[in-house]
Formats: sequence, structure tokens, C-alpha cells
Amino acid sequence: MRYSEDRIVIYRELFAFAAIIIGDGCPTKRAPGYAEQGKDAVVTGSDTDQQLVQRAQRGELRAFDLLVLKYQGRIGTLVSRYVADPGEAEDVTQEAFIKAYRALPKFRGDSAFYTWLYRIAANAAKNHLAAKGRRPSADVVIEDVESFEQSDLIADAGTPEALAMGEELYKVVESALAALPEELRAALTLREFEGLSYDDIASVLGCPVGTVRSRIFRARDAVDERVREQLEGSSGIR
Amino acid sequence: MNTNDKDLEALSALMDGEVQDLELRRLLVSVGSDTELRARWRRQHMVREVLQERRLANTGIDVSAGVAEALSDGSSVGRGPIWSVAVAASVTLAVVMGGQQLLVPEDSVVTPFAVSELGGVVVPVGGAQPIQASLDTQSVPLQVQQSDLNNRRSVETAALYERLASDRYRKLSERHSAASAPIHPAPYITHARAAELADESLPDE
Repeated sequence: MRYSEDRIVIYRELFAFAAIIIGDGCPTKRAPGYAEQGKDAVVTGSDTDQQLVQRAQRGELRAFDLLVLKYQGRIGTLVSRYVADPGEAEDVTQEAFIKAYRALPKFRGDSAFYTWLYRIAANAAKNHLAAKGRRPSADVVIEDVESFEQSDLIADAGTPEALAMGEELYKVVESALAALPEELRAALTLREFEGLSYDDIASVLGCPVGTVRSRIFRARDAVDERVREQLEGSSGIR
Repeated sequence: MNTNDKDLEALSALMDGEVQDLELRRLLVSVGSDTELRARWRRQHMVREVLQERRLANTGIDVSAGVAEALSDGSSVGRGPIWSVAVAASVTLAVVMGGQQLLVPEDSVVTPFAVSELGGVVVPVGGAQPIQASLDTQSVPLQVQQSDLNNRRSVETAALYERLASDRYRKLSERHSAASAPIHPAPYITHARAAELADESLPDE
């Protein structure tokens, strides 16, 4: 584990050094969907969302399906904070996604898709409780949600089981990363931790963009193999 | 690299917002029939989540099949009440216009439409009355003879246009139903549900 964290530091230094060599100080152009959060870089994937949302707005259910697969865990976690019963929480989560799809024509892209989806889910959960004459199962305040994308609430794993699962999976991923060949790990690390675009990674690593894309894919492929084994052996993940 | 690997690589690039539109289109087609692609997409996002946050959201939930099933019953994105009203209005307009043409009295002299520039040729326009074009594009109505022959022709013409209008109305109705069906489970519930939809407080962006 320590090994991997050291590697991340090394790649950050490598990136900074390469930026100087490139000559314009720093290739400040970040990848689509990249956002700064305090000192840490976070890849949000909002550009991917935008592509999928635009297609879903044209009626492509498969594009919306990918958004559901991407966000159902987080939305489910949010809903579970309101609705204690797992079955009801799943129903409300499903209802939230259906409402979001129906309302897609009203989504103009002024905010991130997830921000918008989050609000729909929170409203659905509150309405569900109101209809049942109940109060939220947790002390959740979402009225002031302007900055909730940076809030821990969104990423909150919720249950201790989910937290343990996350920690376990983190170890597996870290171990898989450490076992990657150098060039694959470099490409994936620069993407996931620095949020660099493929163009910038190509500049840093001195290889064609197509090679970057291929390396990132092969790195993810290798990590996925380990993750899949882990998840299949886990009863908590369907 | 086989086709599946190409899709998987495209899926990886999609995570990073680095796919072209054409490639995305192809990928979405594959996603529809390849469950492994969907599973991979989900796992890749879980990996990103744990890498960046060292924790994982609720992994015991999977509503994707339920959502897809619910939406496939009426899969087009809701166009909203305004769209439905527009379609209904166009149908109404078509019916009214068609009906007006059929209600022209047989013995009336109709103000002619603009005449085509085909000199000396009788051109039936709009199904109203035959008119004759002049060389200087002036509109010149034909003298309507009130003979039995003409009356019979008028009746036949009216019957013909009635059939045409009826066909047009039927086709527009079908289009209206087709447009409304994916949004609303039953035809003509559209406007009744508009109020219901308005009550659902969708968030501002």
C-alpha cells in the first residue's frame, strides 16, 4: 500500500518535471470533467455525463442506462439516508431515475447532471416520506445544497458494511495498480489522480495519444480483473 | 484486438470523456446487447470512486433493469404538455381547414386562389373551384355554369375532397396518438396529466 502511495507522489513529481521540460510552465489544460477539490484533484466525468445526457435527451435509453449504472450507488446511498427500509429505498431510487429521465428536456446543463439528479432524488425521498407521514431516517438537511457537490454527504458510504467494502476494494485496486507494468501505471495514474487529458498525458509520457488511450484501457483491464474477482467473492455487491 | 476489446477500450475512453460521437454511437449499440460492457462500466466507476475517495457508495443496489423496463414502456423522453397541445392544435387546424373547404355552397362563386403561370391552362387549386390562369398572372375566375352537369361534378368533387380530408384527419390522428403514446399510457389523458406533472416539484438547475 505504501509502495503505491509513493508511486503516486513520484508520478506527480514526474508530471511537474515534464511540464517544465515541455516549456510553457505547466500544461494547465485539464481533462474534461476535471475539478479541483481543495488540494486534491478529482475527476468528475461531467463531460462524459454531458455526452450521455445529450443522447438521452434525444431518446437513447442506452445512454441513460449508463448514467443509471454510474450513479445508482450514490443516489441509493442518498435515498437510504432518508428511507430506512432497503426495499422502499430501492423503489424511491428507481422512481428518482425515472423522474429524471422524464424531466430531461428541462435539463439545460447549467449545473452538473449529478447535481440535478441529486436534487430530484432528495425530493423523491422527501415526498415518499411525506406521503407515508414519516420523518427522515437520518438527520439530513439538504435545503441548502448549493455546494453539496463538495459535501461529504454525497460521497458518504452510508453503512459500515459499505465502508468496509470500500476499504477492502481500495486495497485490491491499490495492489492491482502496484502490479501494473510501469508505462500502464503511469498513464492511468496521470489520468485518475492528476486528471490530465489524453493529449497532456501523451506530452508528459512522450508517446502518441492513441498509445495513451490503449495504455489506460489495458491498465483498467488489468485492475478490473482483480476487482471482478473481489466483487464476485463478496456477497454485498450484486 | 477483437471487437469486444474495441468496445471495452471505447468504454474506458468514455469514462474520460475522450470518445468521438461516432464511436459513442457504436458503443451504445453494443451496450444494449452486451451485459459484460454494462458490468464493466459499473465496476470501472467503482474503481474510480474508491481510488479518489477511498470509500464506496451503496453497492447493494441495482435499479438499472427496473428503470430500463419502466422507461421502455414509453421510452421517448417526455416532451411535455406543450408538445401535446401543439400536436392537438395542428390536428384541429387541419380538420377545420378541411371542413371549410367542404362547406362551400355549390352555387357560390369562389374568390380564386393565385393562379399558376401556365397560360391558358385550367388549374384546380385547393379543391375549391376551377380557375383559369392568364398570361399576365392575373386571377380570372371561370364562369360557373349552373347546369346539371356542373352540379353533378361539384357533388363528385366534394365527395372526393371529403375522402381526402377524412384520410388526412385519420393520418394526423395517428401521428398525434403515436406522439402521445410514449409519454402517456392512454390517449387524451395527456392534458389531464399536465396538472399532475406541474405539481411535481422538479428542481431548478
